[in-house]
Amino acid sequence: MIETLLRNSDTLLLYVFAASALIGAALMLVLRHPMQVAMALISTMVFLGGVYGLVGVHFIAAFQVLIYVGAVMVFMVYVIMLLDVRDASFTHRFSSLLVPGVVGVVLLLAALGYALWHAIYAPASATGSFNLQQFSVSFLNEYWLYFELTSVLLLAAVVAALAVIKGAKRTHG
Amino acid sequence: MSHLLTLIVVLPLVGFALNGLLGNRLGKRYVTVVGCGLPIIAFLITIKCFLDLSAAGGAPIIDVAYTWARFGDRTFEIAFYFDRLAAVMALIVTGVGSVIHVYSIGYMKDDASYARFFAYLNLFLFFMLSLVLGRSLLVLFVGWEGVGLASYLLIGFWFEDPVNAAAGKKAFVTNRIGDAGFLLGMFLLYWAFGTFDMDRINAAYASGAPAVVSASLAGILLFVGATGKSAQIPLHVWLPDAMAGPTPVSALIHAATMVTAGVYLVARMSGIYVHAPEASLVVAVIGVATAFFAATVAIVQTDIKKVLAYSTVSQLGFMFAALGVGAYGVAIFHVYTHAFFKACLFLGAGSVIHALSGEQDIRKMGGLARRIPITFVTFAIATAAIAGIPPLAGFFSKDEILWYAFASSRGGSPAIWAFLAATALMTAFYMFRLLWLVFLGRSRMEPEAEHHVHESPLSMTGVLVVLAALSAIGGFLALPHFLEPVLPLPAIPESQHHYETPLLVLSVAIALTGLGVAWFVYGAGIERATRLRDRMAGAYRVLYNKYFVDELYENMLGRPLTWISDRVFLRLGDRVLLDGTLNGLARLAHRTAGGFARFQTGHLNLYAFFVLIGIVGCLVWSFRHG
Amino acid sequence: MDKMHLLLALAVALFAIGLLGVIIRRNLLVMLMCMELMLNGVNVSLVAFAQQTGTTVGAVLVFLIFVVAAAEIAIAIPIVLVLVRMKHTLDMDAFTDLKG
Repeated sequence: MIETLLRNSDTLLLYVFAASALIGAALMLVLRHPMQVAMALISTMVFLGGVYGLVGVHFIAAFQVLIYVGAVMVFMVYVIMLLDVRDASFTHRFSSLLVPGVVGVVLLLAALGYALWHAIYAPASATGSFNLQQFSVSFLNEYWLYFELTSVLLLAAVVAALAVIKGAKRTHG
Repeated sequence: MSHLLTLIVVLPLVGFALNGLLGNRLGKRYVTVVGCGLPIIAFLITIKCFLDLSAAGGAPIIDVAYTWARFGDRTFEIAFYFDRLAAVMALIVTGVGSVIHVYSIGYMKDDASYARFFAYLNLFLFFMLSLVLGRSLLVLFVGWEGVGLASYLLIGFWFEDPVNAAAGKKAFVTNRIGDAGFLLGMFLLYWAFGTFDMDRINAAYASGAPAVVSASLAGILLFVGATGKSAQIPLHVWLPDAMAGPTPVSALIHAATMVTAGVYLVARMSGIYVHAPEASLVVAVIGVATAFFAATVAIVQTDIKKVLAYSTVSQLGFMFAALGVGAYGVAIFHVYTHAFFKACLFLGAGSVIHALSGEQDIRKMGGLARRIPITFVTFAIATAAIAGIPPLAGFFSKDEILWYAFASSRGGSPAIWAFLAATALMTAFYMFRLLWLVFLGRSRMEPEAEHHVHESPLSMTGVLVVLAALSAIGGFLALPHFLEPVLPLPAIPESQHHYETPLLVLSVAIALTGLGVAWFVYGAGIERATRLRDRMAGAYRVLYNKYFVDELYENMLGRPLTWISDRVFLRLGDRVLLDGTLNGLARLAHRTAGGFARFQTGHLNLYAFFVLIGIVGCLVWSFRHG
Repeated sequence: MDKMHLLLALAVALFAIGLLGVIIRRNLLVMLMCMELMLNGVNVSLVAFAQQTGTTVGAVLVFLIFVVAAAEIAIAIPIVLVLVRMKHTLDMDAFTDLKG
């Protein structure tokens, strides 16, 4: 038994990480304090990083943790701590659309599940996992335009953030 | 093919354009020369065409001026037609028209709109000539409508006074009612014969081809148009009101020419009426009724022009009575003599009004004979002519009418003769009444007016003399005989021939009796008449108010129409239906938008929910449709 | 089920849960975090398809989504700060200025 387990450890780990990510996501919906929700999200993201690693795209897993957890979620946590506001949303977690929302999402899952059930996919390709070198070569040769565009996008984001804060300072002093 | 006929018609139009556009800028003398000169030239050309016609033995001259429209193989031309009948009418129109233009020089001398007056008069002449010279009913109808327009413009010439404008409007609207019948008749004839040309239509009826359309129906419809234009019952109401216009207008349009257009139409289409005994009967009955009733009203009128207006209506009734019994040439003969003496009477009345500085009430006149002798003499000659005293012109034409009314094989009867004879008696009576009250006896004038009485200038008195002379000797021209190739006279049955002389004597007796009665009642002033009036106050009231016809029309037609316009069309149709629909649509759009706006609550949760619904919907749809 | 189906099922589930969170929760910051979850779900599906085809397109796209997500959060947070400064609350019911 342990042999089968060890032989298929990849798949087993994959299932475990996927399930954990889902549990984290589900927790996000029910926890009360935004800080708790942030922690659940961080755990989901880390488990997703694990999933990426098991699949074989190691550099994407690295970037997941670096960018998403290391930058985005840290920023979120800072803001949550900054805006420690205990208001109505604290006591009443859910909006008035609880029931319709749940019903709708159940329908969505049913529809997508149906599609997934009847979908047949080709077997995974031979060159399953590719390494960083392969990725960077193709990234900076074929897709260099998008690379440049992303730098422009980041610049725009910085300028926008400055503009928002400055505008706010002008109107509210 | 010479274009002389087109020239005759177009010359007055040129005069209208020149005077209308440049008249005010170039002064009175220019306006006079253009305004009177062109009609006189037209008259001379008409004489030339008449001589050509006589030289050709009466064969009609046809002048095609312009092809108006062409639809496949159907052509509509503007063509002019000159035969004996057209010649007589054109000579009357241009001749009497020209002299009245000359009269207007003196009468309208002090009017500010001198140029406009001559422009309109020339316009009228253009349309009238188009009417009498037109070959097809289409060209005639253009002239028909055009003289209606000119009449409206001229009646309401002094339009600053709303009464005058209303009179012009009344004339135009009443004409239009008749024109509806005319148009229906025209369309009927076109549908039957495929042509509007009157000579062709007459020939088609004469050839005896089985009538596709009943001649009587066409005849009655055309006569409806004639009723409107020639002021017969029941569309006679506009003519007395038309006296609001200047007196030369009353003389030219409402005595000599425009009102005779209906008579001309029936005479021209005699080819139809010969084959339509029912229509002819209708024409005769209406003519006799109009003649009789208009004469009864004329007896008691106190405005000099109103007396002459009702007299015109009555004389037109005579003409239609003649047409109704088949004596078309005789009717045209009466048109011809009537043009002379009625124009002379109207212009004489204008001279009197001019002399009295605007007074028109005959109760405030009298004793003018010595002060304005030329006017008096010409007026007296014309009065005797209309009364039918031999050997003046009116005697000949009126006697012919009475004779044919009695004896014509196409509808003549003693009953018609009796009514017409009674009307002739009344005519003589009221005309001599007018003569006495205006010119003879003691003066009842206002002292201020009496002080200023003066004879009219030569341009006016000269015309009066010419017309009076024509009224005197015009009757010796045997017009019915001249027109017989075109307008055959009805046969007289053998049994009636021996009545001719007695009836002739009776006509003269009637005229003299009228003169005598008028002398008796009015010879010593108005006292006797006033006593008579007081004794017969009820009858007097009915006659003075012209049988309350205008009030009847107002109550029976005017008020219901106004009510319908207000209640049904304005309130219901316009406000409720149209505005309501528009406003209702706007309100519907507003409410619908308001309904949709309820989806925009501002809550992001709801918006995200809509995204979810959209995704689910698209997925489901894609499953169903592959 | 094989890897492909598992990964895709995971992606669908993450996306659905994220969408549900945006609809259900009333706190502004929690809604933002749920939107991040949705993005992660999309990333998973892209990785799955990239794995299948063997080309680098999928991976490149995932990388670009990382960048966009970072830029997005960089702007969203200041906006949230300004909004909170105006309304003094994080409750979604207060932010109904788009009404009508």
